[in-house]
Amino acid sequence: MSAVSAKTSKYRRLLLPGLLLALVVATVAAAPLLPLADPVKQQVAARLTGASAGHWLGQDEYGRDVLSRIIWGGRVSLTVSFLAASFACIIGSLLGLVGGYFRGVIELMSVRLAEVVLCFPPMLLALLVVTLLGPGAVTLVLVLTILFTPGFARVAYAETLTARTLDYVTAQTALGASSGRVLFRTLLPNITPPLLVQFSLTVAAAMMLESGLSFLGLGVVPPSPSWGLMIRAARSVMEQAPLLLLWPCLALAGTVLLLNVVCDRLRDALDPRGAAVGAIPGFLRRRSRAPLMAAPAPTAAPSLLAIEGLTLRLETGTGPLDVVRGVSFSVPPGETVALVGESGSGKTLTALAVMGLLPTVITPVAGRVSFTGRDGTVRDLLALPEAELRRLRGNDISIVFQDPSSSLNPVHRCGKQVAEAILAHGEGTGAAAARKVVDLLRKVGLPDPAKRAGAFPHELSGGQKQRVMIAAAVANTPRLLIADEPTTALDVTVQAQILDLLQELKQEAGAGDAAGMGLLFVTHNLAVVREIADRVVVMYAGEVVEEGPVAEVFARPRHPYTAALLSSAPESDAEELTAIPGTVPSPAALPPGCHFAPRCAFALPTCDASHPAGVEVGPGHTARCIRWREVA
Amino acid sequence: MLAFALRRTAVALALVWLVASLVFLVIHLIPGDPAELLLSQGGSAPDPAAVAELRERLGLDLPLWQQYLTYWQGLFQGNFGTSLQDDHPVASEIALRLPRTLELIGAAAVIALSIGMPFGTAAALRVGGPLDRIASVVAGVALSVPVFVVGTLSILLFAQKLGWVSAGGYVPLARNPMQHFILLLMPASTIAVGLGAVVFRVTRSSVLEVLSRDHVRAAQARGVKPRIIILRHVLRNALSPVLTVVALHLGALLGGTVLVEYVFNWPGLSGYLVRAVEARDYPEVLGIVLAISILFVFLNLIVDLLYAALDPRVRHA
Repeated sequence: MSAVSAKTSKYRRLLLPGLLLALVVATVAAAPLLPLADPVKQQVAARLTGASAGHWLGQDEYGRDVLSRIIWGGRVSLTVSFLAASFACIIGSLLGLVGGYFRGVIELMSVRLAEVVLCFPPMLLALLVVTLLGPGAVTLVLVLTILFTPGFARVAYAETLTARTLDYVTAQTALGASSGRVLFRTLLPNITPPLLVQFSLTVAAAMMLESGLSFLGLGVVPPSPSWGLMIRAARSVMEQAPLLLLWPCLALAGTVLLLNVVCDRLRDALDPRGAAVGAIPGFLRRRSRAPLMAAPAPTAAPSLLAIEGLTLRLETGTGPLDVVRGVSFSVPPGETVALVGESGSGKTLTALAVMGLLPTVITPVAGRVSFTGRDGTVRDLLALPEAELRRLRGNDISIVFQDPSSSLNPVHRCGKQVAEAILAHGEGTGAAAARKVVDLLRKVGLPDPAKRAGAFPHELSGGQKQRVMIAAAVANTPRLLIADEPTTALDVTVQAQILDLLQELKQEAGAGDAAGMGLLFVTHNLAVVREIADRVVVMYAGEVVEEGPVAEVFARPRHPYTAALLSSAPESDAEELTAIPGTVPSPAALPPGCHFAPRCAFALPTCDASHPAGVEVGPGHTARCIRWREVA
Repeated sequence: MLAFALRRTAVALALVWLVASLVFLVIHLIPGDPAELLLSQGGSAPDPAAVAELRERLGLDLPLWQQYLTYWQGLFQGNFGTSLQDDHPVASEIALRLPRTLELIGAAAVIALSIGMPFGTAAALRVGGPLDRIASVVAGVALSVPVFVVGTLSILLFAQKLGWVSAGGYVPLARNPMQHFILLLMPASTIAVGLGAVVFRVTRSSVLEVLSRDHVRAAQARGVKPRIIILRHVLRNALSPVLTVVALHLGALLGGTVLVEYVFNWPGLSGYLVRAVEARDYPEVLGIVLAISILFVFLNLIVDLLYAALDPRVRHA
């Protein structure tokens, strides 16, 4: 429903420029029918006279009617450009289609041959052909066709390459459809939208070139009117009659502008991706701090990180959606807390909210994230100005992301990127930082650290890159390290090594110590949780459904979701692997009552009626289920 | 890096060979007798004696392979042919005029980059904001006005109406540097209108694309200052596409300055070219087209090398 209206609104933006363009085309097409003066009839006595009732735009240097010449001139310009674009479109698309479909020698003979034209600057090639054939409208059409054919060939070629691998095209071929049939009945309709965009682009470019050549006196031959020729002629009398220059300039620029706008809007309407505004990082946005809803009073426990009642809101085209609701848990110093859940449960967003690195479209609307810094002061990270938050990032709090390959900037050496973390938070010199980088790289287990520091990211393996990212994260011995699925993108053999490294680093920083480093480990891998975590927080559909000590939760899960997760994990002790039926509900369509009820084996009718609150089920162990006693 | 440079240079040389051969072949690709074609004036058949003379002048009576060899022999000696009208060597005229055209293009590129890049970046950093909207509309209009319209209208405004500058012309740098740059300003700015709009658009989309990459967020997570993130992690990465597009357009400008030089009476390569085309002096046109095309190939080579210098991954590809 909303998708349909979005689509029509996209086309609506095409309406105004499209109508105006149609008006221009209709006017010049109807030139012979309009009551216009003869565009070539001279009236030397009345040369350069201004606007009058008989001549709305005045008369030119030979006393010819300017309005009539503009309309007839537009007819010549548009005809030449339209013809050339059409020929180029037909020839170019055929070449591209055939080349892209058959590849090999045929590709060489079609697309690549056409591309030779691109070796020459366009204006030059045009002048070369004009030298040989002499100026004139026919030469113009030929020249422009030659110039714009490779453009169409390229577009058609690229689109054909993509389209021919589509399943239904492959299926047609497998069913024995002839090449001709596949080409024209199946592929051609598929590549039409980009060709349409290319066509309107080409008509505009052709008009520019045609008028340019005519302006040089090498295009349309007088006395035929053409906008380029009119500007050329008006130049010599611009002192006496500046308006004479202005009218054809306006007509030409206006028409090209209309064509370009139509082309842009057409492209927007046809390209479903649109602008990726939501992905803009937050440091650019001026943090608008709407007062958050009152959070519950801070707990007394001396925690390193305490998240209380965190609610994150996603702004969508159809209205706001709360994707994370009322999440509360804490990370004590020196402990490892695992944040577990399926994809879409909100665990990564929670981690990003702590860092203040949420995408622009998601904002915290309620809650508090209290963090005890190295200096002992407790700050609410959600309320902190961006500049102060920046001083904590990479310093007191660090994060290791999921995919090390995309998290390292490909154009800078690894060592430099690790050094950034050091230099951003200290006054140290580059040389001192460089020495420290080598030490850090050695500490994270990279062989030959001095050489690795000078390597570009693409020269390292995935595991090595993740070690570099970890080195950057621990460069300033953070109090809290967040690891957001740090091993998901890595090979299985490397995963264990990275986990060992994280464990080691934590031991070094004093595990269990009041000054020790806290580790918030985001994962969907329960085996990892059992191995490294002290506490576990299970999230489902944007909420915490169970929280407790790892040993306790794994031995006696009190929420059916946790229990189901445990028995569906291949590493579990369960005699039988069971999959959880259904999928995580979308935040736009949360089931009423308990959000897990539709997938739950323990669900009662009351579960659909009211949303359960968290219940204390044991020491430091809570679960959001009314039947918790029966689960374990 | 060296291996990459050598490989790219080899490709460029092969392209030069291809382009030069194509230029040679153009006259033979057109159906009919080239000499007759060149001498024909609107339908009336040319004088057979003149045709025979032209055939001999152009060496068209020799076998094709022999013409081709002579052609290359000439090229290696720096001989780009001689004018049909006055036997003046084309190469010396090119040597005189090419630097002026290059200067014009260079100045235009500097103006276009110094306007297009900051505005493109600013628009991307505040995407959807007032600056972004206004600049995008301005760029759209700038791209739609043909360069000779911009030139002619700015002469009308700045030279005729306001009288700030003279309508065009050229003074050698050695004679009067001040006047030289004043006269350079208007034609260079005229080219920069369209080019700057292109630079703006590419910069804007390139910066937008880089901003959404993971490594920008990672730099932010290290606590790097926003200014450094923008310079080192956004602009540095966004530069390659900008460079490519600008280079492509500069190549097109090598021929496209024809109109601007014509409008402003700038005595570059193009005025020479237009005169040669008008006189249908085939050897002259051929020589100029060849010179510019070779330059075009080498320009692309330089861009390829710069590209590799900017992006370490390219060197290994």
